[in-house]
Amino acid sequence: MVNWQKKHILGIKDLTRQEIEVVFNLAASFKELSQREVKKAPALRGKTVINLFFESSTRTRTSFELAAKRLSADVLNFSSSTSSLSKGETIVDTIKNLESYHPDILVIRIGYSNSLYSLSQYTSASIVNAGDGANEHPTQALLDMFTVKEIKGTLEGLSVLIVGDIKHSRVARSNIFGFQKFSSSLRVCGPPTLIPYEFHKLGVDISYNLDECLPQADVIIFLRIQQERQTSSFFPSIREYVNNFSLTPERIKRTKKDCLIMHPGPVNWDIEISSQLKERIHPLILKQVENGLAVRMATLYLVGTQKGEYENTD
Amino acid sequence: MKFKEKAKILSSQDIKRILHRLTHQILEKNPNPYELVIVGIQTRGVYLAKRIKEIIRKVEDVELPLGILDITLYRDDLTMIGEVPLVKETKISFDLSDKVVILIDDVLFTGRTVRCALDEIMDFGRPKRIELLVLIDRGHRELPIRADFVGKNIPTSKKELVEVRLTEIDGVDEVVILEKEEDG
Amino acid sequence: MKILIKGAKIVNFDGIIEGNLFIRNSRIAKIGEVSEEPDKIIDAKGKFVLPGLIDMHTHLRTPGREDEEDLWSGSKAAAKGGFTTIFCMPNTRPALDNQGQVNWLLEEAGKIGIIEILPVGAITKGREGKELSEFGMLKKAGCLCLSDDGNPLEDSSLLRRALEYAKMYDLLIISHCEDKNLSASGSLREHLISSKYGMEGIPWASESIAVFRDIELARYLDTKIHIAHVSTKRSLQIIKKAKEEGVKVSCETAPHYFTLTIEDLEKSHFHPNFKVNPPLGNREDLEAIREGLKEGVIDCIATDHAPHSQGEKELPFEEAPPGVVGLELAFSLSYTYLVKAQILDLKDLVKLMSYNPANILGLKDKGYIKEGAWADLIIVDLSRSWQVLPHKLFSKSKNTPFIGHTLEGIVEFTICKGKVVYTEKGKNG
Repeated sequence: MVNWQKKHILGIKDLTRQEIEVVFNLAASFKELSQREVKKAPALRGKTVINLFFESSTRTRTSFELAAKRLSADVLNFSSSTSSLSKGETIVDTIKNLESYHPDILVIRIGYSNSLYSLSQYTSASIVNAGDGANEHPTQALLDMFTVKEIKGTLEGLSVLIVGDIKHSRVARSNIFGFQKFSSSLRVCGPPTLIPYEFHKLGVDISYNLDECLPQADVIIFLRIQQERQTSSFFPSIREYVNNFSLTPERIKRTKKDCLIMHPGPVNWDIEISSQLKERIHPLILKQVENGLAVRMATLYLVGTQKGEYENTD
Repeated sequence: MKFKEKAKILSSQDIKRILHRLTHQILEKNPNPYELVIVGIQTRGVYLAKRIKEIIRKVEDVELPLGILDITLYRDDLTMIGEVPLVKETKISFDLSDKVVILIDDVLFTGRTVRCALDEIMDFGRPKRIELLVLIDRGHRELPIRADFVGKNIPTSKKELVEVRLTEIDGVDEVVILEKEEDG
Repeated sequence: MKILIKGAKIVNFDGIIEGNLFIRNSRIAKIGEVSEEPDKIIDAKGKFVLPGLIDMHTHLRTPGREDEEDLWSGSKAAAKGGFTTIFCMPNTRPALDNQGQVNWLLEEAGKIGIIEILPVGAITKGREGKELSEFGMLKKAGCLCLSDDGNPLEDSSLLRRALEYAKMYDLLIISHCEDKNLSASGSLREHLISSKYGMEGIPWASESIAVFRDIELARYLDTKIHIAHVSTKRSLQIIKKAKEEGVKVSCETAPHYFTLTIEDLEKSHFHPNFKVNPPLGNREDLEAIREGLKEGVIDCIATDHAPHSQGEKELPFEEAPPGVVGLELAFSLSYTYLVKAQILDLKDLVKLMSYNPANILGLKDKGYIKEGAWADLIIVDLSRSWQVLPHKLFSKSKNTPFIGHTLEGIVEFTICKGKVVYTEKGKNG
């Protein structure tokens, strides 16, 4: 038995290593569940899970939806484009209105960083963060780490490299906090304009030279680049970005043979990774999707079944 | 909550004899061993199931399919306990349809665990019959569930705890009764 | 009305004396032995009498957002906080950028008549930073100073014109120093914390670059200029040096900059009540601000009282408007964190919150307790403390990061032009 004390899963920052291991353990059994004839367990039967996506995302939302359904929960989907948000209703109003359905879990994706803690006071439901601004995307990091652990056998002492737009990436942040809890060493690589201020103080190595970083890495996570970063002058052109930070067939030769190359998806082929490497990269991305479902089932199971008397998490 | 050992009910020798007897009872009731499968409930039910499978192999020279079942995800009391139970392995890699499932657990008490196991087995397929085997039946049923094969009936009070210890996990084979220690 | 204040310690920036104080009608008639019969006696034994506090920087949201604060609630809040004169900023809707608007404000304020509300006119029409407003007419209507507060004046040549033109009317330009391109969409200081939590940060250079530019222009033109809400160590370095070199620069800071840091913001889980512009700095900045207050580099403490409705502070942190209320807390915050903490003494506090503001703005007979001066006084009890709770605040808005905090120093009475405009509940002198 493990003591699960958290009402919400807002970020990897707030999870202990033991808590992360609990998620891994559960995810493994949920993977098994998904291979049965009847891919369902009654663990969340009668519970209501609402997917509240203020930012659109079909993949993550579908993953959470299926996760909730496989645990026998009732699922509602709200997205901002179709909801009354577009009519001027505020986020707080939306949450207060949803309270009438007595949701047990709110899975929230929102464009603002760090607003979920404040929002939690307006609902009695547990909140699972499906991505808040550039702050955290905990289930993504959990599935990334779970995948690495599955293949490498351990997360201890690995050399992890994250490439790209670190500044605007919640995937980067969650993964950094996560891997650090397992004593992996972290390095980020990208143009200086996309490395956050004073980031080295988080215990992360910083490099602007991808070629130098490749040989030591056991795990490399390539992040999405958004086109609008070019117009905001974070880099002068996509071409220049690709020259420096793209994974090309030449560059991949510099990596370790058993290096894991990951991407949170969807991949901008020939920008972050060359399309010639599709076959090499694809299997792992598919594995990430499968593990994502299991990991999300684990997080819903944990917050959904723990109905203890919660103190205000302060 | 502290428990202290009150009495030893079964010794290692007792358990050995009982398992042999139970196995023969199974075979007597189910003359065709080829339609049998064994499913053990985590954790100690699995070890008992393995032993019984081994005895059947010696006696009938048949390797029965063995499945292991973790019932955590089917529990009805998850929101009432303060802790998250670790979910252990569930593996049933054979077809249950038209088979007689010998479901094995160490202690039968309220019957809720068995109820979970029955629901979970149904999600794997439609067996011909499910027969329940337990090492100890300690009474206090809360659901209409009964065992087909019982090692020993032990009347207990609710304050007591029946602990089955097996060499594979606990280093010794024995069954003891523990009593809740009153706080001094 | 004749009021006798008995047995108090009378505090001015240059000394504390014990004695009686006699008010006749709207002026301080006598300090010392009094033979006249008073209409009201206030026993101030064990208490301190200070000159009424003067706030150079308040937002009263009138006209336009009277739901957040109006002249009445603002006056009550000011009086409770010990302020007898407040200057209200022109970022209202419509802006205070013309004579008619200012006349209207003064008329409305006069009808309420609790404390003195004086207008800060806008530097540019509509505060848009494009065309100068009519300085002369604004002065005539009653403005002593001008500001586009909330917006910096980005066009250096326009600031130059403003400073030059203001000379003619002896108007003080109060500058909001921020490089809007650098601060962009930032909602807190650019810092390890903003990086860790994935939020756009505002570099400290945004403030210091603007401070430097404004001071250079003031130096070049040999005019006076006042820097609003100084919040960084670097800005203070620049101001200190400029002062030493004879530039006519004055500046103010707000209580949140010497009481809170970005770490407090983090601990609050990024509660919008901690969101201010300029943003909270780090420990170094806080220490520098305290040092600046002690050394006299910072001339005064101004509240930057910025009421926001609950709805606005319910928005996500990055969306919520910046600003906190402060009229009712400024004195206690300053006393607790500066005087009680032995960084300043009470006389210094009086200098920062009354004497200097009066001087900078040329307010006659205010900021100093003497015979003949306006009877703008507060009586404070420094031995008691109070807890900040929403229902205790007179302001319509309750957006302060200090909810729940206990602060030392209570204003018991506020007297404005000889009239008792605030009495602490339960007190009757």
